[in-house]
Amino acid sequence: MASGRVVKALVVDDKYLIRKIYGTMLVRLGFEVTEAEDGEVAVNYFVEGNEYDLVLMDKEMKVMNGVEAIRTLKTMGVKEKMVAITSDESCNEAFLEAGVDAFLTKPVKFAELTSVLKTFDLLN
Amino acid sequence: MDVSMLQRTYSDLLTSLFREGILNQQFTELQQLQDENNPGFVFEVVSLFFEDSGRLINELISNFNQQAVDYKKIDAYVHQLKGSSASIGAEKIRSVCQTFREYYDKNDIQGCYNCIQPLNQEFVTFKSKLEALFTLEQQIVAAGGSIPMMRH
Repeated sequence: MASGRVVKALVVDDKYLIRKIYGTMLVRLGFEVTEAEDGEVAVNYFVEGNEYDLVLMDKEMKVMNGVEAIRTLKTMGVKEKMVAITSDESCNEAFLEAGVDAFLTKPVKFAELTSVLKTFDLLN
Repeated sequence: MDVSMLQRTYSDLLTSLFREGILNQQFTELQQLQDENNPGFVFEVVSLFFEDSGRLINELISNFNQQAVDYKKIDAYVHQLKGSSASIGAEKIRSVCQTFREYYDKNDIQGCYNCIQPLNQEFVTFKSKLEALFTLEQQIVAAGGSIPMMRH
């Protein structure tokens, strides 16, 4: 990870409360954070040419759910790291098939998020 | 009440919330995210929870009072509430939501119904106690003191 480069994260969840918590964790870790309230908004950000180093994706969202969003982004050729935030392991298979890079289980703990991001070499 | 007494009252209240199982470690996670760059973080997040969850619980109660109860919709509301409560450390609320979903998965409608009143009660209790906690925080700061940092 080049020092001084701004690392960007996209947090995708339909609940503002959850986006606020994850966003605050990521800011603490040095990320610049953008929020999206559903999968379709997230996909549109990429369609518009935005780039992110990391995507945190919830599963259950209106309009476009997390599995569908990740599948769409992978089909578009998006290579950034994608982390699925799931309620339990029953959701994991669908996310794996869609191409997710890692999982975190709710409620997400700061240390767990940090550990995943270290494996991606996204922390300065 | 002087600052040290306010701080003692705050510490005792917070300790009791963990001891009674109203809060869990996730709340401590939120407190640790609060800093000088984000001084009102916990208050903001918990306030969002009050607003969001109050609305969800009202929808739940309203739906249960319909002639034709839409249990799928109710389960969706409880799923949301479970996620939110887990994310802020509202353990008792999360636990009742978990119990509701276990009944729902077994198609135990009476079991589901029996969870609604306890869910509402736990929310009312949680809101009341956290509001008292935040009031103490404001009083401590107004009196020139600092909020005690505690490990749980």
